[in-house]
Amino acid sequence: MIALESLAVGLGGRTFVRDIDARIAAGEFLAVLGPNGVGKTTLLRTICGIVPARAGHVELDGMALRSLAPAARARAIAFVTSDDAMIETLRVHDVVAIGRYPHHPWWEWNENLSDDAAIERALEAVALRDAEQRPFTTLSSGERQRVWIAMGLAQETPVLLLDEPTSHLDVRVAHEILALLRRLASRGRTVVCVLHDLNDAAAYADRLMLLGRERMLACDVPDRVLTPSLIERAYGITVARVETPAGPRVFAHVPK
Amino acid sequence: MVSLRFVLLVSMALLALFGSLLAGGSAIAPADIASALLHPHQTSDIATIVWQLRMPRVVIAAVVGAALAIGGALLQGMLRNPLVDPYLTGVSAGAAAAIALAILAGVAAPALPALGFVAGLLTAVLVAALARRGSGVDPNRLILAGISISALFSAVVAFAIARSNSLDAAQSILAWLAGSLAGRGWNDLLFALPYLGAGTLLALLAAPALDALRVGDIRARAVGVDVDRAQWLILASTSLLAAASVALAGMIGFIGLIVPHVARRLVGSSARFLLPVCALLGAALCALADAIARSIVAPSELPIGVLLAFIGVPAFLYLYLRQERPA
Repeated sequence: MIALESLAVGLGGRTFVRDIDARIAAGEFLAVLGPNGVGKTTLLRTICGIVPARAGHVELDGMALRSLAPAARARAIAFVTSDDAMIETLRVHDVVAIGRYPHHPWWEWNENLSDDAAIERALEAVALRDAEQRPFTTLSSGERQRVWIAMGLAQETPVLLLDEPTSHLDVRVAHEILALLRRLASRGRTVVCVLHDLNDAAAYADRLMLLGRERMLACDVPDRVLTPSLIERAYGITVARVETPAGPRVFAHVPK
Repeated sequence: MVSLRFVLLVSMALLALFGSLLAGGSAIAPADIASALLHPHQTSDIATIVWQLRMPRVVIAAVVGAALAIGGALLQGMLRNPLVDPYLTGVSAGAAAAIALAILAGVAAPALPALGFVAGLLTAVLVAALARRGSGVDPNRLILAGISISALFSAVVAFAIARSNSLDAAQSILAWLAGSLAGRGWNDLLFALPYLGAGTLLALLAAPALDALRVGDIRARAVGVDVDRAQWLILASTSLLAAASVALAGMIGFIGLIVPHVARRLVGSSARFLLPVCALLGAALCALADAIARSIVAPSELPIGVLLAFIGVPAFLYLYLRQERPA
């Protein structure tokens, strides 16, 4: 269980969003939505403890996150970001193996059997077993995205935070990744994921957190968040809502 | 596969070190060298030449080569920049400036290595202070500070050469800048050993974080790396290794920049393979280069730094470009 209490997040001298109160249960899939620049990425970085909270605090199973040492924190929460990195001559296996860092004391350099198994499971989950020995630089942007996700999965944490995990992915792979995250949540992992596609979020997440300028506008089930009035408040656009057997979907009005 | 390559590299490095023992003013057969090595308490001339003249030099060359290559690999990994070498810490420029001014002031030659070591470390502290941001190191600031301070101290060296009244003083400065192991013995190694040991220990402490640092600070923090601590460890380790190397052999370029590239081509970037292979390649290359430097125009010597640049750079470019070419 993650508890966000009166949380304010920001970077440098700027606070992006304040007064966030939310509880995210084990096994829940929460999608974080909102326009560019409202602090979605910074919120995830604050939840995983790599950016300090401006106010309020984050609790993990009743313990203040800031009381945990970096390695202990990384055994509890994994953070997947899609920012690219120059990693010439690292193979896919090497990159995914970095996710095992918090499971090793400093003197233990070699991978052990449980590392091998975790790396294998992570690569299997993102369908990259065949690419294990390929240099990272030879991968497409979609494959690189899957490697970053595999690195997060290899951490084998109860909580998984993902910043736009479907960017760069084609529609089929994007849905495969979201279905994977859904399965992970069904097996008890807490998944918190920044997404831009409102309908993907509604299709896969249990709840949606909608951020607007400086405040959280809603954190509820898709039916109560994907309303034209809330979407207009967050994004400044008008949308039409359509009820489907799978739940509500929204479509932006495009001026002709 | 990697372990087979590792065994081959260890064998080649040992062979290179043994080969380096063959080079020198007196021709000694390999069997006699081997015999002297196996019986260190012999009192023959050959044993004296091997243990008191050649061995310290080969060991120092190997240690310097390994230290510079490890420092280069650490710094390149931390900064995610393949174009940096251990001298980015300002160690060599600071040491060079201090030694040039000391030669100009007539300081006795035996005091120069220690002076260079202290000045190099102080310069590294200055560069680190300029690169500091918050509780960590800003990679861009480090590069800027390293290049700027090095340029400033290079100007001091040029000034010292221009102001030197005697040709001897100017030649001493230039000889030191070109790098040399001439006249080095066990005592020099003993002086540098604590600092080399400390630098190696810090490198071992920082090494597990190196792979994570290569995929970006944010990801490194997310997997539990204390990035600030790792950066300071790497900077301290590289500065100690480079300062001890500079005190032992003057400025030896090329190794800290190029050996990590070659090592990555051989075993990839994973630190647990990269660092030992860098140490082996650096040691073998520096020992061989020193052997060639002292035998190619015997009885005089070529500066090892110059030799490494003349032979090593074209060889590296050939290998690198050949591998880059599509099949």
